[in-house]
Amino acid sequence: MRRRIPIIARISFVTVMLILWEAAPRIGLVRASDLPPPSMILPVLWGLLQQPRFLADLGYTALEVVTAFLIVAPLALAVGFFLGENHRAERIFGPGLNLMIAVPKSVFLPVFILALGIGLTQKVVFAMSLAFFVIVPSAIAAVHSIPKALVTAARSFGAGRRQLYFHIYAPAMAPVVLGGLRLGIILTVFGVLFAEMYASSVGIGRRIFAWGELGEMPQLFAAVFLIIILTVSLNEAMQACENYSRSRFALQSDR
Amino acid sequence: MRDEVRMSPEIIVSNAVSRSFGSFTAIDKVSLTVREGQFITIVGPSGCGKSTLLQILAGLVAPSDGEVQIDGERLNGPRPDKIGMVFQEPLLLPWKTAAENVEFPLLLRHVAANQRRERSLTLLDLVGLAGSVDKYPHQLSGGMKQRVAIARGLVQNPRIVLMDEPFAALDEQTRSRMWGELLRIWERTHATILFVTHGLLEAIYLADTVLVMGTNPGRIIAHIDVPLPRPRTYDMIGSVEAGQLRNHIWELVASGQ
Repeated sequence: MRRRIPIIARISFVTVMLILWEAAPRIGLVRASDLPPPSMILPVLWGLLQQPRFLADLGYTALEVVTAFLIVAPLALAVGFFLGENHRAERIFGPGLNLMIAVPKSVFLPVFILALGIGLTQKVVFAMSLAFFVIVPSAIAAVHSIPKALVTAARSFGAGRRQLYFHIYAPAMAPVVLGGLRLGIILTVFGVLFAEMYASSVGIGRRIFAWGELGEMPQLFAAVFLIIILTVSLNEAMQACENYSRSRFALQSDR
Repeated sequence: MRDEVRMSPEIIVSNAVSRSFGSFTAIDKVSLTVREGQFITIVGPSGCGKSTLLQILAGLVAPSDGEVQIDGERLNGPRPDKIGMVFQEPLLLPWKTAAENVEFPLLLRHVAANQRRERSLTLLDLVGLAGSVDKYPHQLSGGMKQRVAIARGLVQNPRIVLMDEPFAALDEQTRSRMWGELLRIWERTHATILFVTHGLLEAIYLADTVLVMGTNPGRIIAHIDVPLPRPRTYDMIGSVEAGQLRNHIWELVASGQ
């Protein structure tokens, strides 16, 4: 039953937020033209979902997110794994990496645009630059979380390098790595939308920005609502994987 | 030396084995010969290189100088087919059941699942855990986990079992029960056992021969044959003979520091 509580808490939170959102314009807290209530937005969203152009924007943004994540996830995991495994490399590159984590990548967006234009590449690379610096540290932490003695023991039982990776590293690293990937995918979505809003001719971020400029609040909030639903679902799915791996592969139970 | 092993073949031979880490000499020119079926314990002060020596004999650490021969063959790396290992911590994989943990070395060698299961059931039965086959490590007590680790160390039917302070983390009562179990298993499997420990009485109670190591640099300073008859019984620990031997070894350990 303890597991149910977070689910109930989530449902209550969403319900309360929706009620407040619906109530705020109705009782005159805000103007409906500034914050249209859900009852007004849902029909607009339904209408948008029938529009080929809106769907094309949505698809384009999704393509950017998927492309960026499919490139950055293995790349960052490989880099993190390498640094976690090599003390010398970590000593050389670790400090620089730490500095890069602190730098807000958004200030470089104009540079990305100058170098890469305003097409798909620029948005993909920008999103990757955000996700990279959260996935790498999590992969390093994951490698460091593996008890050395467990590796020595497995070696004494005859495990080769590949068997060590498969039987010890992968399960032992899974919870931490999945946590890093979850943050990585959130930042990838953020990066793509941010770059689209800043300079793009297509994509859902561009549409939201344009609607904002034109004061088309129902459309703007309909799109925002859709993005919230998509990203929250994605986050919940990743969280479920992470929780599962944590319950299955938790290391502390034997330490 | 017991008559049964006096003539048995030499199974472990270490020839002037040294190991340094940087400028620190962990062990210096250790030579020893172990005959098949012997139970050897190794005692010595902290930092005398007991564990390093065991890791070298396991093929986990390469000697800086000298060589180790197992069954007449030069040792170049882990030999899970010949050498089983039991560590101070159980080091079980928390995501595997007791049986799966015991089977793990066989899984690494791609032994078929039904054969693996058959073997793990036999061994868990041998260590008295027939009822805990499908339990996960977190459901087992410290003593039970260590017994799973012993079963895993024996699963490939190794002729040599190297044990690195395997009972150090257990409480006194569990530990003395484990001594009896280990001796019973040893008599059944006829394995050669090298057992590193801090406990002098433990070393005497279990061993045919106690090797005493000195520190700085780590080296063997004495071979002491234990005259207690076999099978050993728990009350022998309190005997005058054991007590005198303990005092003798204590003095050696103290002088070797």
